[in-house]
Amino acid sequence: MKRTLSALAAATLAILLLAAGPPIVVSGQLLAYQEGYVFFTTGDGFHVAHDIVLKDAKTGGATAIKPAPRVWARATFDASGTVTELDLSRAPLPPQGSFADVARFAVALSTPAPNPDLLQNIETPPPGEPETVAAARHFTGRPVLVTFIVQVPPYTPFTSSVYISTDQSGWNAQAVPMDRVDALHYEITRRYNSGTIFRYLYDRGSLQSQEVAQNGLARVPRELVVTDADVRVIRDTVYAWQDSGPGQVNQPQPQVMPTPYNPAPFPNLPNCLPPPQPGGKHGPPPPGCPGAPPP
Amino acid sequence: MPAPSASPVQTPAPPRTLLYLDASRLDFYYNQFLIEGDGNVRLRTSDGFTVTGDSFTMDLKLNRFMVAGHVTLHDATGTVHGAAISDFLDFRRIYFVPVTSEPDRWTFLDGDLVHPAKGREMPGDAFYFPQVSDHPSITASGAVIDSKTYVRFINAHTYFLNAGVPLGTYVVNFSSNQYFAQNTLSGASVDLTWNMAGSPNALTALHLRYDPTYKTYLSVEQHFVGDHEYAIFSVNPATRAEKWWNLALYEKLGSRFQIQSFTQYYTQQFYLQEPRAAQQTTYLSATYAFPHSYVTATSQLTNYSVLGPGALEEPNTVAGSLNHPSQVQLTATSFQNRILNWPLYEQIYEGYGFNHDTVGGNQYLQGFPGHGPPIPVPGLQAYGAPCSDQHGVKNPPVYFCPVYTTIWNTVFGFNFFTPAIKLNNPPGPYQTYYFNASFNKQYQWNSLPHWISTSSENFSINRQFSRSINTYLSYQILNVGDHYVNGGYVPCQPVNTFYCPLSFTSFAGVSTEHTTSFGLNWVPSPEFNFSLLARHHVDYPIPVPGVFGLPPNNILGQPLYASYLGQPPYDATGEVRFKLLSHAMLDVSRTLYWYGNPYRTQFWQPTFVVQLLPI
Repeated sequence: MKRTLSALAAATLAILLLAAGPPIVVSGQLLAYQEGYVFFTTGDGFHVAHDIVLKDAKTGGATAIKPAPRVWARATFDASGTVTELDLSRAPLPPQGSFADVARFAVALSTPAPNPDLLQNIETPPPGEPETVAAARHFTGRPVLVTFIVQVPPYTPFTSSVYISTDQSGWNAQAVPMDRVDALHYEITRRYNSGTIFRYLYDRGSLQSQEVAQNGLARVPRELVVTDADVRVIRDTVYAWQDSGPGQVNQPQPQVMPTPYNPAPFPNLPNCLPPPQPGGKHGPPPPGCPGAPPP
Repeated sequence: MPAPSASPVQTPAPPRTLLYLDASRLDFYYNQFLIEGDGNVRLRTSDGFTVTGDSFTMDLKLNRFMVAGHVTLHDATGTVHGAAISDFLDFRRIYFVPVTSEPDRWTFLDGDLVHPAKGREMPGDAFYFPQVSDHPSITASGAVIDSKTYVRFINAHTYFLNAGVPLGTYVVNFSSNQYFAQNTLSGASVDLTWNMAGSPNALTALHLRYDPTYKTYLSVEQHFVGDHEYAIFSVNPATRAEKWWNLALYEKLGSRFQIQSFTQYYTQQFYLQEPRAAQQTTYLSATYAFPHSYVTATSQLTNYSVLGPGALEEPNTVAGSLNHPSQVQLTATSFQNRILNWPLYEQIYEGYGFNHDTVGGNQYLQGFPGHGPPIPVPGLQAYGAPCSDQHGVKNPPVYFCPVYTTIWNTVFGFNFFTPAIKLNNPPGPYQTYYFNASFNKQYQWNSLPHWISTSSENFSINRQFSRSINTYLSYQILNVGDHYVNGGYVPCQPVNTFYCPLSFTSFAGVSTEHTTSFGLNWVPSPEFNFSLLARHHVDYPIPVPGVFGLPPNNILGQPLYASYLGQPPYDATGEVRFKLLSHAMLDVSRTLYWYGNPYRTQFWQPTFVVQLLPI
């Protein structure tokens, strides 16, 4: 009889242990810890045991970190879905478990209902149709190498520096300097997190040398959405610069018009060379030059 | 309750939202456009509700914010407690985790806080805390946030070498309005900007700048920006006697026409005392766009000495000439058009205009009592027969009449160019050679019997050797001819001891520059870049050290002109750019000029060109 009772007790204990299963452990970032619940950044709230154990996630010992928004935690759930232990850390913890496994424990008064906004966004577009902006806005935030290659107008001065100005850098005209790669192209590679959205324009270092549209008017900034990829290559064309469009004449300068050798790009004609005159006549060198007559 | 929209992104543009935010500490991360706040967060919105909580985060680019931890949501209808609230401003959706008797999930649609959609599934990242790295760019205790436009931080501090620098109020403008792109400041080696005040339509900035010319100084810039116009005013440097007052104006009327101006007024004055010298230049430009071409009218008006004779500028005269030339030009330009299906494009343009200066003639004919002899080359140009009054100079004549005060011109030009043409089809992408070429020809006929022809040919071959190394070889021919119908440039003849520079004994107004360039870029990572440009010039006239000088430099020490007579036969420019701070790169470059034999003259660009560039 005694042996039978012992066997029954052992079997009952075994059944209970098997029913309870091992505790579920999930790691994530805390959204809130209040009123007997712990909330993760999934938005799910879970019951917290009265005697919850708070530990340091790194050492396993006691911790001075208090559960609060932004704190990382490894949560241990018991069989009833109550959180019995939180291992806390201010640094991100390695992923462990899945919130899908504990979603059934999340507390919510209302019955879950579908969200038509989300359903619209995750629909796959029919073949041949472009992906909607909404669908494209799912980003992992991973670093993406973005290479900009711009074709400049053929009359761009060869030693010109070309820059990208963006709304991310307050439209600083010299924010992103580019490198010439041939007679018509400049290039630069930058690293951006996917999901980054910014607007940009090309310039040659100043307001006066910003690009203009093909129709000569001020250009609307280009927009770049950095989508998930290892590398992205952006090819643009600058049709004209504001300060050096085609057809520009030699600018008037005092005492040197209209010879092209004194204004840009030839400012250094020797001063002592006589100015051009009809008939090939010229007098002695100007005052101050070698050979000039005494004043 | 309004029916949910089919897709949030298809809703009309959301109304502008103002957020008034306070917290024990706010951190702003410039490189991510994130605001993170912790401790006693209190947020009041122009949408009519107030939120308090423990932590705050806002992605300014995504235009959404979240408050988490012991949240209270209060509006005119009452107060609700919760764990977190997230507002996607662009989509007009507010996601809320209330804690009443138990937690729940509510979604407020289109600003309706009375009728939440309960239990609605939420986006997976509705309550996401972004990961931040490095140190914050700015800390503050309060902020006013205008969605998609600007943030004004209160009690702000920035950090230099981990030391806090109090800023008081600091404005970060992140508007996508392109007109905030405009600025009127010249370049500087370092520019630290303190945006003191701002609104959706204005920005006031104080700049602490450094450049090799003016050293350290302050500048002030004011932006006023609208949907189709802007006005920008600046004083630079504001704390030096030499001041440039700049005003840029722009207006777009309709979709095809724009007009803009830029005025620069130079004064030499201590503080705001009476200027010792002043000069002014104004550019006016109006453009009308056609379907395949456009017409531009430009004008430049310059007064080199607003104060007139006797300007007292010291020690160096920048504003001294009494000339005030003006220029008007009307130019029609075609779009770039592809020729048949060839890899060849063309563009043509034609223009009419004039240059004008009346003061010079007066100077020439009369001079100024007490200010020495007549100015040798007055007005635009003295050209023609010898003047009857040679001011005491005997043969040969020195002064020619008439003095041209207005010279009309007609311009015609065209461009041909080929974008990258693949020269081979190797198995690997890093073995491909590309060829580019461009050709420009321009004629300018003047009413003074004289015409100028300019032609430029460029050829280049480039190859990318690896992802990080790119090289190119280029050859350019630039030809400028200054042709006079009668006479013109006379080959230089030695007179007494007058020295004729080499090749000027045959120079008759046509110069040719041949430039061979080799360029190399090494970019092992986006945070480091090295580039080398080595050039060989074979020019006519031949450069002569001591006769030709280098072109003047801008305030950063860079040559103002890309090509000029008297270029040293060899030059090489090295440039290194690397990430110095989390949000800044340092760019250092210097050029070596080498004349080679027989001159044996060798010298460096006077200084390194150093610039601190924001990333």
